[in-house]
Amino acid sequence: MRVRLMLLAPGVILLCGVVGCTKTNPRVVTTLNTGAMLGSELPSNPLQNRVITSWIDKNAGTMSTLYGNDTAVQYARTGAQSGYPAGSALSVVTWTQQEDPRWFGGNIPAAAKSVEYVTIAPDQHFTYQRYEGSPLKQVDEEAGVAPNERTAYLLAQRAAVMP
Amino acid sequence: MASAYGARVRAVLWIALVAGLVFVGLQFVRPTLTNPPVTAELQAPPEVRAVLRQSCYNCHSNETKLPWFDQVVPAYWLVNKDVKEARAHLNFSEIGKLPAAQQRGALFEAVNMIQMGAMPLPSYLRVHPGAAVSAENLKVLRDYLMPPTPAGATPAADTSAADAQYKGWITASGAPLKVQAEFNGVEFLPDYKNWKAISSTDRPDNHTMREILGNDVAIKAIAEHHINPWPDGTAFAKVAWAQQPDGKGAVQTGAFIQVELMIRDSRKYASTKGWGWGRWRGMDLKPYGKNADFTNECIGCHEPVRQNDYVYTMPLGGQQ
Repeated sequence: MRVRLMLLAPGVILLCGVVGCTKTNPRVVTTLNTGAMLGSELPSNPLQNRVITSWIDKNAGTMSTLYGNDTAVQYARTGAQSGYPAGSALSVVTWTQQEDPRWFGGNIPAAAKSVEYVTIAPDQHFTYQRYEGSPLKQVDEEAGVAPNERTAYLLAQRAAVMP
Repeated sequence: MASAYGARVRAVLWIALVAGLVFVGLQFVRPTLTNPPVTAELQAPPEVRAVLRQSCYNCHSNETKLPWFDQVVPAYWLVNKDVKEARAHLNFSEIGKLPAAQQRGALFEAVNMIQMGAMPLPSYLRVHPGAAVSAENLKVLRDYLMPPTPAGATPAADTSAADAQYKGWITASGAPLKVQAEFNGVEFLPDYKNWKAISSTDRPDNHTMREILGNDVAIKAIAEHHINPWPDGTAFAKVAWAQQPDGKGAVQTGAFIQVELMIRDSRKYASTKGWGWGRWRGMDLKPYGKNADFTNECIGCHEPVRQNDYVYTMPLGGQQ
């Protein structure tokens, strides 16, 4: 009996080697980053626009990406005029961060912390909207002939260089 | 009956004898595997080296110690090949000659390979269970590379180089560059900058930040959740910039470093896992590498996510 077991053990090990008895590592299961999804309560989906630039707040542990519609991106990447023209629509998503399970040393977006929208109307009126919380709810809406402090900050971010 | 049985026994004995002689004879077919001198060992604290010594050094150093069962052909042939490949990729006995940042980079990659279950090789672990990296030992490596309490705010970066780069780029106002194809024939796709963002990464390990962009085929695949395998025609761009700290805890997008492309075509790129790989560096978008062999580097690094169609990025849900 013992002899038979001794003969069986290498056989089982060999079989495992051929078939592969290891379990799939959860880090490599194919999945979307659903935790960082924005939800459907927003007036529009910022991800449908193009990237202008991004930044990271190390103190807050957040990462933000600034998006723009065609008019905004055209201005940001060429600087043809001296300021965003009428018709520009920008949005910025700020995510909390999580460790990238697939790349040690990297951080990727976790739950969204806020989504902001800036538009410039044909009569040079600025609107600013801010959404926060889970689910995201509107917490601020301002409009005026001059940009508020936050809007001015967002409009002053220069485009990331993309040759 | 008795003689037929005897003949059968004799036949079995002959086969066993011949097989035994072949087995013994094969033992003399031994490609050499020496331990060259340790010229420049990894510079790291002793506890870090102890972990690497236990789990990695048998293949990734010049201090290979093979147990008896690895000395027997054909196991010896496999181990011999593995050790040579391992040393060529990462050799802890010689890595000390590289700059400190490069040594750290190698350790980051090593931790990643361990966490993803790619290293030690699963086939090696089944026969050498003692080489497994325990949770405590993994923590030793992680804590060394990323201390749990980060230091204070990084001082503000010198922005002059990034400013000059931006000025040159904005003045050119989108005039198209003439960009060479990669050494493997993969063409640059200048429209990458108009694709949609599918994720972003903050890489404090090498002071970069990245946006990962996908073309329309990629976005549709995400919306329909058909991402393994990705459909033919999918293309991704990963754009990397230097992190530019402002001295107050915020980090801006600094100088452009590179853009990398992965283009899916299961037939055209069948020999490179179904993907066309490319990397263009600097403002002149110079193709990376010296020849088409650079593709092996791409595939090697993406090997831990082979079950994921070789894609690292977890795309943001909610694409439409």
